[in-house]
Amino acid sequence: MKNIFLIVCAIALSLSACKKEEGCIDPIAINYNVDATLDNGDCDYAPINVFIHFNHYVNDTALVVNEMTYTNSTNDIYSIQTLRYLISDITLHTDNGIETLLDEVHFIDISIDSTLILNIPQINYQNYTSISFTMGLDSIKNITNLFLNENFFPSFVWPEFLGGGYHYMQLEGDFNTVFNGYATHTGGTNGLDFSFNKTFQITDIDNININMEIANWYKNPEAFELTTDGIMGDINKQTILKSNGIKDVFSVN
Amino acid sequence: MKLGTYIFLGIILLFVFSCKKDLAPISGCTDNTAVNFNTNAITDDGSCIFFNTTPITIETPSGFPNMNIPSNNPMTVEGVALGNKLFHDKILSGNEMQACASCHLQSASFSDTNQFSAGIDGFLGDRNASTLVNVGWNNSNFWDGRASSLEEQAYDPIVNPIEMNDTWINIEMKLNADNEYPTLFKNAFNIDYIDSIHVVMAIAQFERTLISANSKFDKYLRGETQLTSSELGGYAIFNSEKGDCFHCHGTQMFMDNLFHNNGLDIEPFTDLGLGKITNNASDNAKFKTPTLRNIEFSAPYMHDGRFSTLEEVVEHYNSGGEYSLTVDPLMKKLGVGLQLTNQEKQDLVAFLRTLTDSDFIGSN
Repeated sequence: MKNIFLIVCAIALSLSACKKEEGCIDPIAINYNVDATLDNGDCDYAPINVFIHFNHYVNDTALVVNEMTYTNSTNDIYSIQTLRYLISDITLHTDNGIETLLDEVHFIDISIDSTLILNIPQINYQNYTSISFTMGLDSIKNITNLFLNENFFPSFVWPEFLGGGYHYMQLEGDFNTVFNGYATHTGGTNGLDFSFNKTFQITDIDNININMEIANWYKNPEAFELTTDGIMGDINKQTILKSNGIKDVFSVN
Repeated sequence: MKLGTYIFLGIILLFVFSCKKDLAPISGCTDNTAVNFNTNAITDDGSCIFFNTTPITIETPSGFPNMNIPSNNPMTVEGVALGNKLFHDKILSGNEMQACASCHLQSASFSDTNQFSAGIDGFLGDRNASTLVNVGWNNSNFWDGRASSLEEQAYDPIVNPIEMNDTWINIEMKLNADNEYPTLFKNAFNIDYIDSIHVVMAIAQFERTLISANSKFDKYLRGETQLTSSELGGYAIFNSEKGDCFHCHGTQMFMDNLFHNNGLDIEPFTDLGLGKITNNASDNAKFKTPTLRNIEFSAPYMHDGRFSTLEEVVEHYNSGGEYSLTVDPLMKKLGVGLQLTNQEKQDLVAFLRTLTDSDFIGSN
């Protein structure tokens, strides 16, 4: 009799232990079930509030404007007074090919603090693992009068004489003497597209830092010499800036 | 007996009084959105008169963004007409000798031909009177940008001691006592007392109609006319980095809504411009880029009217300008300049004259 009771107990115990609880087993989901051991494929996630910070460095230190203290690869001493640029098609990606466009075009002007942070609230949660963006505007977007009501109009307009559209970047300052101004202006000149796309792995989706190493526009793979002459119509110089830009101007962390 | 009578009469009175309301309710306009809304009226007698203005839609010229129109001051026919009248009325000055239009003449691109303008008491200002051309697209106003809206801007000259030198209390008194203005303000804004807020709103509405987009250059872009070879040559220099006019005077607005130090002076500056407003030394001697539309008629030029001709202006850029801490890097060759030939300089001026819009100047 005693044995029968023990057997019944053992069977009951093993039955209850075998009955696994179903539910959401992802700890970051809002309906995460701590008791669940079997994924029912029905997890809900809170929307993501994405902040993208744009940071600017020269030779690994934070940019200081208006100081004639920087030296480039051709031994020119230079200052930086103006830095404005466009980043477009800012997109988050998951490993299985889901894409979310965060912003079509974002204008950054280092003299306007509000442009240095881009906040995109209420993004549907996905397991995003990378971010991609375009420096400048690709040829589909780089069309005269396409962005009449954006904050980079009118100052970023690129004359029709040089192919129309918009500047990608206005990087300006003095070099060697305060009497020499340089204007490193990039854009799609004479119908050629000099924009480029970059993709970076990300770990923290809420806070993404897009960093520009300004000095790298002027080196690697090719040295770029500052000039008081305009470079907007200079296809050779635009080509150098693009290839230097793709290489290592941007990083993300 | 006496007491009973009083009570009886009292009851009858009460009865009559309460019945009166039911039998003969106050009638009038019961719609609280009407101009003649009667708060005591119970039955509507169909007498409501509604405030009704005629909206104006601004047609955006080709290549222009949408105009900056504050949501609380929409454009109306009534508001613009009132603003036009105020703009030209000397009632807005202390001794009733000057109107806005006294220093902002249509024939001079709504500027005047003086280097500095004299106020009602003969005092001279220290900056050249601004033109009023396409000001509806300005992000800021005055050479130093201290007024963000046209409404805000209009508050200033009327009470400036060296300009129209009146007080708002006095202006409100004069306008409210006037034969015409109370009705005009009622029709434009549905107000019974004229205040400074609505004076500047009307003036701003009028100023937003000062649109110039029908110059020879516009007609050229629309394929309606040809430019001469000299004008075309100037157009090309203007839009090349050789002339490099377009970075500040680009687009069909011919201005960038920004501030620059274009190398006019060495330090110390006599006029800090934007720097005086922001208290930021890096803004010293920066001034708002003016549009070049109708520039032919707005001489003299620069914030201090130092240049009397367009040739002198071109020569300033051609010579490269002066160094100072805040000079714009786009003045790339200080002291050396653009090195344009005489022909190129003439071409540039010829192109600038294609920005003349005779309709706007009122000479047609």
